[in-house]
Amino acid sequence: MTAYVLRRLLWLPVLLLIVSFATFALARFGPGDPIAVIAGQVRDPVVIAQIRADRGLDRPIPQQYLTWLSRAVRGDLGESYAQRGFEVSELIFPRMWISAQLGLVALIIVFAVGVPLGLLAARLAGTWMDPMIIGTLLFLQAIPVMVLIPPLIWMFAVKWQLLPVGGWDGIFALYWIAGVIAIPIPNPHLYIPLVAFTLPGFVGVARLVRITALEVNLEDYVRTARSKGLSEMTVQFKHVLPNALLPLITVVGFALAGIIEGAFFVETLMGINGIGRMTFEAVTSRDYDVILATTVVFASAFVICNLIAEIVYGFVDPRVRIGGSSRS
Amino acid sequence: MRQNRMLAILLGVLATLVLVVGGLSAVLLLSGKGGTSGTTTGNNAGGSGSTAASGRLRLPGTDPSTMDPHLASDSTSAEYIVEVFSGLVTISPDLKLQLDLAKSVDVSPDGKTYTFVLRDNATFHDGRKVTTDDVKWSIERAASKQLASPTAMSYLSDIVGMPEYFQGKAQSISGLEVMDAMTIRFKIDAAKPYFLAKLSYPTSFVVDRKQVEANPRNWTRKPNGTGPYVLSEWRLGERISLTANEKFYLGTPKLKEAVYLISGGSALTRFENNELDVAPLSINDIERAQDPGQALNKLYKQTPQFSISYLAFDSSKPPFDDVAVRRAMGYAIDRKKISDVTFKKMLAPASGIMMPGLPGYTTDVKTLQFDANAAKAELAKSKYYVGAPVAGKTAMPTITLTEVGGGASAGTDTQAYIDSWKNILGLNIEVKQLDFASFLADQSAGKLQMFGAGWVMDYPDPEDLIDLKFHSKSALNENHYNNPAVDKLLDEARTLADPNRRLDLYRQAEKLIIDDATWLPLYYTVAHQVVSPNVKGWIDPPMVLPRLRFLEVTR
Repeated sequence: MTAYVLRRLLWLPVLLLIVSFATFALARFGPGDPIAVIAGQVRDPVVIAQIRADRGLDRPIPQQYLTWLSRAVRGDLGESYAQRGFEVSELIFPRMWISAQLGLVALIIVFAVGVPLGLLAARLAGTWMDPMIIGTLLFLQAIPVMVLIPPLIWMFAVKWQLLPVGGWDGIFALYWIAGVIAIPIPNPHLYIPLVAFTLPGFVGVARLVRITALEVNLEDYVRTARSKGLSEMTVQFKHVLPNALLPLITVVGFALAGIIEGAFFVETLMGINGIGRMTFEAVTSRDYDVILATTVVFASAFVICNLIAEIVYGFVDPRVRIGGSSRS
Repeated sequence: MRQNRMLAILLGVLATLVLVVGGLSAVLLLSGKGGTSGTTTGNNAGGSGSTAASGRLRLPGTDPSTMDPHLASDSTSAEYIVEVFSGLVTISPDLKLQLDLAKSVDVSPDGKTYTFVLRDNATFHDGRKVTTDDVKWSIERAASKQLASPTAMSYLSDIVGMPEYFQGKAQSISGLEVMDAMTIRFKIDAAKPYFLAKLSYPTSFVVDRKQVEANPRNWTRKPNGTGPYVLSEWRLGERISLTANEKFYLGTPKLKEAVYLISGGSALTRFENNELDVAPLSINDIERAQDPGQALNKLYKQTPQFSISYLAFDSSKPPFDDVAVRRAMGYAIDRKKISDVTFKKMLAPASGIMMPGLPGYTTDVKTLQFDANAAKAELAKSKYYVGAPVAGKTAMPTITLTEVGGGASAGTDTQAYIDSWKNILGLNIEVKQLDFASFLADQSAGKLQMFGAGWVMDYPDPEDLIDLKFHSKSALNENHYNNPAVDKLLDEARTLADPNRRLDLYRQAEKLIIDDATWLPLYYTVAHQVVSPNVKGWIDPPMVLPRLRFLEVTR
């Protein structure tokens, strides 16, 4: 087990090396130049060439990459082109923190809504409610985040003026009752982004839970439990749910990837200063070092999350013994 | 049994998540509380005994790309920099060139030597006196090869010896001479009447050598400037606070503190919620603000800005090598109607290239005005035909209009131009949207046949627009406009001492340029804002200028 985890972790640097070189080369070969972007409207080609030379952008790409790499392994991710005087790490970590909070809340909602919905659909299998729920879910899942957000903003923020248009103001807001008692409520700034964020996720979870729950419902031990005269509640939560949840653990990894991916659209469209929006802005301004840093961070997060999912899976399901050591 | 174990593990995972979220929310609540209730005080503004400055102004803001005056090239950064730093000269809110750190300037009869004497009471925020060594060191830093400032060549290259110094071929700028601790002399390469106006730009601002050398990378977090305000707090993505420099050499600012709130949603919502004193209006809110029946209307202010949008034709690329095609397209667009419909009158249709308020501007209309018949007549004169072949003429080549944008469809105003060209002239014009970096790359490679862009004035002199964009030798002449008559007028205007005659030359050049239709000037930008009644003497100059010290906030 430990050996397996270690082996997987040893692969991480190799993976990051590949990812970082690919990103590095893509950015350098792509059109556009960070210096031209930061130069403003008075762009003298001679000056731009001079600045490029000073920043080492005129050297061969492999050489540039090695320079970046030798700094990066020492923890220096470089300096932002778009925000000069700021180290990349100073810029990305506060914004990763914002995205992490948002992502965590989204992840909780995905499971908190998706699991009961899936169980309900499975329970109603054979009635007209089941295809209706699943049909609705499929329809919702088919709407891309990019398409979903503008009408949500238009309805709730512009037309009915119920919710703020966007922005980030923390996860919780204080709700004052009679101006005396303050209770923390989820910040209204987040309602639209969270709906857009979690919709594809919880629909996916609900559909998966429905299928596995349907299978589990046919198992002998469920029938036995029912025939023992246990209440339906007990059957669902003690016998069906734990077994139906098993495949979900693997989904956590994918759900997280989906949340990271969704962050690009949601944060950009909703004006949330998170890492997704920052990456988007960095790409548009060709802020090379920021693009690289965020890509590497995303890649690491992806690998580590999947690894954790595998490990948890191994703990939960004794049939899965990762690493080959048969210790039972 | 196994199911119990599984359930226990799952519950454990859930409990951990709940704990993490709980702890997280506690941290957030605490930090949030600290953020909103704590009043910020300047690091060296208190304790001076003077109580002249008062009031707190809350503005919407954006993180600047840099606080270093020598590197900044965008208006967002400049807005903070002009309050925190200062230079020898400045421009007042009514656009007059004024002495700032210098108490006098003497221009030699040949117009090539400027001798400045510094104010005796000019100090840095930390109390140290500003000397001519600081001025020289700052300008040499701005012009240095190592700093590689994107603005240095544009603003400082008139100084004798600066280009050599910038290329690393000289040890110092030969045209900069320190006479004594308070007197410094600038030699420039030709008598250029706009040289002083250029010196008002942040590239020439004074910075503290000791601070910069001690911390070259991070000194801009708490810069020791010479301006009317001290940068007392900068929390990336959250807020920027400027506190009055009570020892400011031109007198203590009236306004004590300006807070720029960076995070948060709609500025107007926050304004109406009394979280902001000023809010820009978007196209969704403009009708509400302009309706006299609405409470917001009394707080509504609009001010023209020194900024213009335009469409440019590259006359080296067919069909724009033919002036008739350019003029036909110019006559076919109805600026006023498009502004009324798509921009809800938020932009002013351009009557020329120079914008209102700029020296040289005249009120008469110079741009080609909408006239469908004139458009068709022009196209008939062209050497290209549209539709059925015409003997002796060439078929109209494909025209692609490139603009900056992220979507698949054209901007609403672009779509309206395209429709006009199609309906009136029968031209099918393709639109290509590029992200800003790719647009710049293609533009500087000279690949764009026709493009939409904008220009924002850096200093209030027509040279900054007419010469930079239309002189055939200018690096910023992106559409390769080349008219020897225009070049001649511009060359003469560069060094002409008589201001009226000089402005007249720019007006003549403007006329030629418009008749050549190399640009179709579209709109002058207008700022639309609501300002709280607590703010007295609100100033919104047409360009970035120091202004906070003139404002008063009663609260």
